[in-house]
Amino acid sequence: MNDGPTTAFADVTETDVRDAFEAADYVAEDDIVTTVLLALRLGKPLLVEGEPGAGKTELAKVLASGFGSELIRLQCYEGLTAEHALYEWNYTKQLLAVQSGEEAPDRSVFDEEYLLERPLLRALRSDGDERPPVLLVDEIDRADDEFEALLLETLSDFQVSVPELGTVRAERPPVVVVTSNRTRPLSDALKRRCLYLHVAPPSFEKETAILRRKVPDLDGVVAAELSAMAARLREEPLRKPPGAAETIDWARAVASLDGSENGTLTAATIRNTLGCVLKEVEDVERVDEALLEDLLEAADRAAAGEGP
Amino acid sequence: MSDPSDAGRVHDHLRTELVRFVRALRRAGASVPANAAPTAARALAEVGVADRDPARAALRASLLTDHEDFETFDRLFEAFWRRLTAGPDAGDRPARDEEAPDGVLAPLGVDEAGEPTADRADEDGDHEPERDDADDSLVGSFPAGPSGSTDGDEGRTTTARYSPSGSASAVEGGLPPDGGELGPAFGELTRALAGLPGRRFRPGTDRADVRRALRSSVSTGGTPLSLPRRERKRTAVRALLLVDVSRSVLDVLDRGFLVEFLRRAREAWRRARVFLFDEDLREVSEPLDAPTASAAMDALEAAEAAWGGGTRIGGSLATLHRTAPEALDRHTVVFLLSDGLEMGDVSTLERELSWLARRSKRVLWLNPLAAAESYEPTARGMAAALPYVDGLFAFAGPGDVAELAGQLRRQGPGGRVGYRFDSRATRHRPTTERPTHDA
Repeated sequence: MNDGPTTAFADVTETDVRDAFEAADYVAEDDIVTTVLLALRLGKPLLVEGEPGAGKTELAKVLASGFGSELIRLQCYEGLTAEHALYEWNYTKQLLAVQSGEEAPDRSVFDEEYLLERPLLRALRSDGDERPPVLLVDEIDRADDEFEALLLETLSDFQVSVPELGTVRAERPPVVVVTSNRTRPLSDALKRRCLYLHVAPPSFEKETAILRRKVPDLDGVVAAELSAMAARLREEPLRKPPGAAETIDWARAVASLDGSENGTLTAATIRNTLGCVLKEVEDVERVDEALLEDLLEAADRAAAGEGP
Repeated sequence: MSDPSDAGRVHDHLRTELVRFVRALRRAGASVPANAAPTAARALAEVGVADRDPARAALRASLLTDHEDFETFDRLFEAFWRRLTAGPDAGDRPARDEEAPDGVLAPLGVDEAGEPTADRADEDGDHEPERDDADDSLVGSFPAGPSGSTDGDEGRTTTARYSPSGSASAVEGGLPPDGGELGPAFGELTRALAGLPGRRFRPGTDRADVRRALRSSVSTGGTPLSLPRRERKRTAVRALLLVDVSRSVLDVLDRGFLVEFLRRAREAWRRARVFLFDEDLREVSEPLDAPTASAAMDALEAAEAAWGGGTRIGGSLATLHRTAPEALDRHTVVFLLSDGLEMGDVSTLERELSWLARRSKRVLWLNPLAAAESYEPTARGMAAALPYVDGLFAFAGPGDVAELAGQLRRQGPGGRVGYRFDSRATRHRPTTERPTHDA
């Protein structure tokens, strides 16, 4: 069990993870807790997949705040390159050094001093006294395939090779969380280096719990109603089914509008705030009178405490 | 067999059952990485096997890589857990006992060197028979189709068959060999179409190449005299392939060639989504990623991508518009492979094609019938479509792909390209007027 660098989280217990989630108001099932615990204890990167808005990015943020680590985030996009992800040379400084001629001829300008750290390198070289940082590689499916290859060295050995400088190796490997929206399949090489976690859309109970934690000024009954309606909406063949993040937005909107009458929602309020949960015009159009009736019915059942 | 240092944590029985479980998963088609079993063993050692749910979560995290396998996993996990809790004496031994524990034993120790080999051996053992099966059934799954792929360039135009009436005349089964002549032609096509910046740089005009400027300035005492610039090589293609698999097309087009073309597109291009349509539309991008053409064929069958209905191009495009408009953007080259024998409403076809043409970079229509020398685009759908497409090309074999690539390279996709400018045959056809359509 002592292959690779020892992780700084080898002694983390399940209670620690639960406490971290609790402190950040992150509602997680046992599955998620166990998987995160394993990722920490085994020192393996965690690949989190799931629908947009399921709380993938949030998971990394919560881990960082819960364990008092620094969060280093690398947002992926098409065309992301090594200069943006790994390191770059500080050319201006190098140029000045060459011009001033201060450097002895045998000293190279390709030296530690002229190196600009980008997220991946920074995560490896971070030398805080406390916990190692949490490295969040967000939405890796947006970057092109070739970029995944760049990550492999970092993910499996926690090191980066800089041709002019040599290999930079992490003394205390960071916690790595890689998220993907599944817009394209990831390479096997990447997947086999990671532990896999799939975040499913939240159940009615979980979503109600999330709303109670995240939007405390919302009436408890209304929270249940909103969760029930979100669950009902997810049954429709929507182009973009609402994730937990959308439901939270919705709850905040309803709470700030105070559109509930005697603790229940009206059709007009739902109609007006629908833009918080549905983000495609086709989806909004799909909510006709009949579906609105269904939504209200689901809400009523939830308010009566019968579940969705 | 037993490793004293780990004896208290993971004992033989658990190891054996774990290996059986991993094998069962692989056999059931779940994609389990080669090094997953050792990881799973370590994970189990961490969470313990006292409780069912943590053990389940641990195995799921370490063995699986795709949530579509969750169902298979849950089903097999029940059996695994039952055997595990029943104890070592209750269960029968796995078939190949002697090599079973290796995959787990090795990584439990300190040394990592042995693990991938042991495990890969496992995998091979499991999959070999299936592969044989696939090859056997392949012969049966490729019925007739005029095969033009073995002809040289010289004879190409004459072997293409014009048979809109729809009865296959030549009966030659089988696939063109993997690769074949399509390889170079397809490479040409990729280079001709590449319009998206790839990852590599070349001298150009986009951005200052600071690195080179710095290096060259050393010789002038740190004063950069010239500023080299660079840009990204345009090597990437983003495409959308819409393939008509109605009866009339399949009669004149070799399926092996078609599948090979689509697979190459999936493999070589940065993003190539493939949709099949006859009377409705379905996406088959993932089945095509199978490692061999025959496996892809099986995957297509498994995906119930039925071949050979009637043709409703307009309706199918409307479905695309409704369900997957994100499949194309202004960098996407759209390939529409169809004979244009539209059976649906032509006005729908025109409306959807105009959407397609507006949203995409280029729309190239590949028509297997256009390979015939006397071809005229007079079919109802084809005639209506002409104003919206950037080029109408023949598509019956590798020679046509090479010709398509050649024309695109010489003229650019917006130039005077199409079946009428085919360099391989002198075509006696009017080049100025567009055929009038009766829609």
